[in-house]
Amino acid sequence: MRIAVILKAVPDLVEEMELTSDGTDLDREYLKFVTNEWDEQALEEALLLKDSDGAEVVAVGMADDPDIEQALYSAVAKGADRAVTIAGATGVDTRSRAAAVAAWLKDNPADLVLSGVQAPDDLDGQLPAALGAALGLPHVSVVVSVALDGAAAIVRQEFSGGRAADLNVTLPAVLGIQVARQAPRYAPVTRVRQVMQSTTIDEASVAVDEAAAGIRVRRMYPPEKTTHAEMIDGSPAEVAARIVELLRSRSLVKG
Amino acid sequence: MRHTLASGETRQVFEGIGAVGTAAFYVLSIVTVAAFLIGSWRRTQKYRRGRPAGRGGTIRRALLVSPLALRRRPDTGSVAQVATNATIGRRNRGVGIAHFMVFWGFITLFIGTVILTIDFDIVRHVSKWFWGHEDSFFTGTFYLGYSVVLDTMGVATVLGLTYLALRRGVRPPARLDYSRAEQPAGGYSRKALVLGDWMFIGLFAGILITGFLGEAVRIVANKFPEFEIWSPAGWLLARGFEAVGLSAGAAATTHTVVWWSHAFLALGFVIYIPYSKAMHMLVDGVNLLAHDKNATRALPAPPADADHIGYRELADFTWKELLDFDACTKCGRCHEVCPARTGGAPLSPRDLILDLRQWADLQTGGKTLLDREQRPDATGPLQNGQAAVAGTVIPAKTLWSCTTCMACVEACPVGIEHVPTIVQMRRSLVDAGTMDPTLQQALQNLASQGNSFGKSARMRARWTKGLETPIKDARKEPVKYLWFVGDYASFDERLQDNSRLLATLLTKAGVDFGILYEGERNAGNDVRRVGEEGLFEMLAEQNIKSLEAAQFEEIFTTDPHSLNTLRNEYPALGATYKVWHYTELLVHLVESGALPVKPLNLRVTYHDPCYLSRYNGVIEAPRTLLAALGCELVEMPRNKTNSFCCGAGGGRIWMDDSVLSERPSENRIKEAAALEDVGHFVVSCPKDMTMYSDAAKTTGHDGTLTVLDIVRLVDQALVRPPAEPATDDVAVPV
Ligand code: SF4
Ligand code: SF4
Repeated sequence: MRIAVILKAVPDLVEEMELTSDGTDLDREYLKFVTNEWDEQALEEALLLKDSDGAEVVAVGMADDPDIEQALYSAVAKGADRAVTIAGATGVDTRSRAAAVAAWLKDNPADLVLSGVQAPDDLDGQLPAALGAALGLPHVSVVVSVALDGAAAIVRQEFSGGRAADLNVTLPAVLGIQVARQAPRYAPVTRVRQVMQSTTIDEASVAVDEAAAGIRVRRMYPPEKTTHAEMIDGSPAEVAARIVELLRSRSLVKG
Repeated sequence: MRHTLASGETRQVFEGIGAVGTAAFYVLSIVTVAAFLIGSWRRTQKYRRGRPAGRGGTIRRALLVSPLALRRRPDTGSVAQVATNATIGRRNRGVGIAHFMVFWGFITLFIGTVILTIDFDIVRHVSKWFWGHEDSFFTGTFYLGYSVVLDTMGVATVLGLTYLALRRGVRPPARLDYSRAEQPAGGYSRKALVLGDWMFIGLFAGILITGFLGEAVRIVANKFPEFEIWSPAGWLLARGFEAVGLSAGAAATTHTVVWWSHAFLALGFVIYIPYSKAMHMLVDGVNLLAHDKNATRALPAPPADADHIGYRELADFTWKELLDFDACTKCGRCHEVCPARTGGAPLSPRDLILDLRQWADLQTGGKTLLDREQRPDATGPLQNGQAAVAGTVIPAKTLWSCTTCMACVEACPVGIEHVPTIVQMRRSLVDAGTMDPTLQQALQNLASQGNSFGKSARMRARWTKGLETPIKDARKEPVKYLWFVGDYASFDERLQDNSRLLATLLTKAGVDFGILYEGERNAGNDVRRVGEEGLFEMLAEQNIKSLEAAQFEEIFTTDPHSLNTLRNEYPALGATYKVWHYTELLVHLVESGALPVKPLNLRVTYHDPCYLSRYNGVIEAPRTLLAALGCELVEMPRNKTNSFCCGAGGGRIWMDDSVLSERPSENRIKEAAALEDVGHFVVSCPKDMTMYSDAAKTTGHDGTLTVLDIVRLVDQALVRPPAEPATDDVAVPV
């Protein structure tokens, strides 16, 4: 059993973001990058499977992502067996990433490919779907638990309103993880540092055809400032009444 | 084995015991000594298994330090400190005096026995070999002096012991209640511990009583030889017996019985020592000489050769730690002062040590009579074999409850160091990832952005925006003082006003100072105490890099936690600086007139931060400052080095405290609220500001007690040109 987890470095949202002067990208120069939080969930789910069923977990990142080594070392410190960076993606958009990862996976097949269901810069969660399509593999997203069952996996897919379905998926498959069964584990800094000494990240490079890139960014906009905050004054009873009124008027509660 | 009586005043050693009896006594004595030696040897073997503790220098210093130093530095380990029982009497005079009497009484009686043995078993025989007749110095003036000294010390011992026994038996203080702070699911019993205490006292008392009785009946049997008046206690007792009609013949018979009772009790006690609570008599002097408070101020780095992180098994502990476990006398002082225990957390430093002792003994096949906890199931300290010490023997929630306030170390009369041991065990919890989610989040924030708030590292100096005079960047221009601001004073919006106020005051006073701007990281004090050693190293390295790139002469901090690690722990990483607290700087500015002030005439109380007072001895500066501001300081009952923790230290501020029945900060606010006519609760630590403002609200004292940073008082007292209003008024509660 081999599980590949696709990790992405995204800007730390606590930073103040600025756009480049031509307005087509974030100014990445002073930004701090962290691992996409949903990818952390995917990694945790993979490690849980490793703990319970035994598996080889490979953490995969794109060579061009800033600070991706840090994310990969940290993944190994948590229990991943190997780490790989892939060079050769032609753009920063999700389809080109998917194409690059798919190209690498063709030569390095995995039984399960896990990634976060979405990312701050991929809110519609294209990566798992695009990856499934590129590889011709079954794909399930918004997954909240995975259990292995021979040549298949039983995955729980979550829908809105707290409903969920257990699906039986034939392996190999691509899964977009919403949340792992446990909170992502901690990578103690001492371990990460030891891993940095003792582990080498494999470097792979793939050839991806230009056409893979699906989109071209023409212009980016900073979010509009909203000033809709309403301060509620009055006695506790008045404040409570106003809150109830607001909740009712916006149909956030029934009755 | 009748021996010839030397001339002059003396007593016969085996009077009325007979040859068989004497021989039996010798056999028993040899058995006793053997059992004692075996017991002691086994204990020593256990300590020898421990890792090196690096205390050679500490012990050497303690042995060499002059007895006069005790007055000036009562904290420093020394022979005089052990000999005077200074640590026992501190904050507990009665017990100190009683123990002192028992301590020296026992030593005198022991020396007396040794002298007798030397005379009777050595001098007598040696003289016979050499010149054919038996000599003895146990006669005449020597005998009379010996008698009076031993009698007096015996009485002192009885008095001391009676006081201690009554205190324990009649109205025991709460701290002698052995109920556990952490309740094992399967239940437990500590009855044997209580029995062990009474066994110890009982054996001791028995020896003393039979000793005096024997002396008295001997005097009656010998028809009151005049010189025996030099054994005053025995003499008086003998007179009493005579008065109730004890005849000389009956006394001689009784003497044999009493003599044997005394002998059995004494020999039994000697055997009992290494297998029971009584071993503290052997262990605690050594433990005090090896005790080093600096090991808590600057935590030990993990052993370089360890194949795993943190403490997991017995082999991880140092000999000092193993000695600590055996040294505990269950006095409960640490238990009483512990803020975690007080607040209802499942941690008592006493229980921690007792559990580790029992567990360590179980691992090493150590024999302890009584003095051990029983449980229906083999859980906690009763677990044998592979059970991980951190998380299994000592539950994780127990280890996470500690605020590292050091009150336990400070209170312990026998030099036990709980805090470093707790942190060593936490290290293994961190390695296994066993921690509160909120703590994990804080550590991740610290790792990525260098602060626990999860804010961008580039925002660190944002609080300086809006200052009239911008603060110098010490990385770009030389300054005299580098202000190490700390996370809370930088990022917490409720505290930034105080930070700006301090900056304004310093500027006004003409102090040449600067900060590191984005170059500063969390200093790592609490990260280290959480047990995340790698992250501490990382933060320290980043700070040291910034410090090295900056130009300054000395550092001052707003945060006592940062002060502790900068002052005590950074030197081991190659960064040695003079580090001040801002109260020390302010007192200097006020006293020198750089900040002219007028008296405020307020009645205030002041809270000593653990990391300032207990850890670093900065006690007088804030007090002198308050006096200079014309504030009348009303001390809380727990003050200075005996201060009570706010509950935030050791990483607790990042953990969930909803399990507590009462937050330590609330306990503290109530203590202050009980003071008469005190309207201000003055703090000198940013974390305290948040902790106590909250606690004043939750306890409903916010109307009558204003929590404020000392810097606000300085600002309020400042004499300024008429046109300029005070920066902020100090609210005077009605
Ligand atoms: S350091 Fe403080 S909280 Fe921790 S065990 Fe000691 S007294 Fe209790
Ligand atoms: S650890 Fe020290 S203070 Fe605590 S009970 Fe034991 S001897 Fe007393």
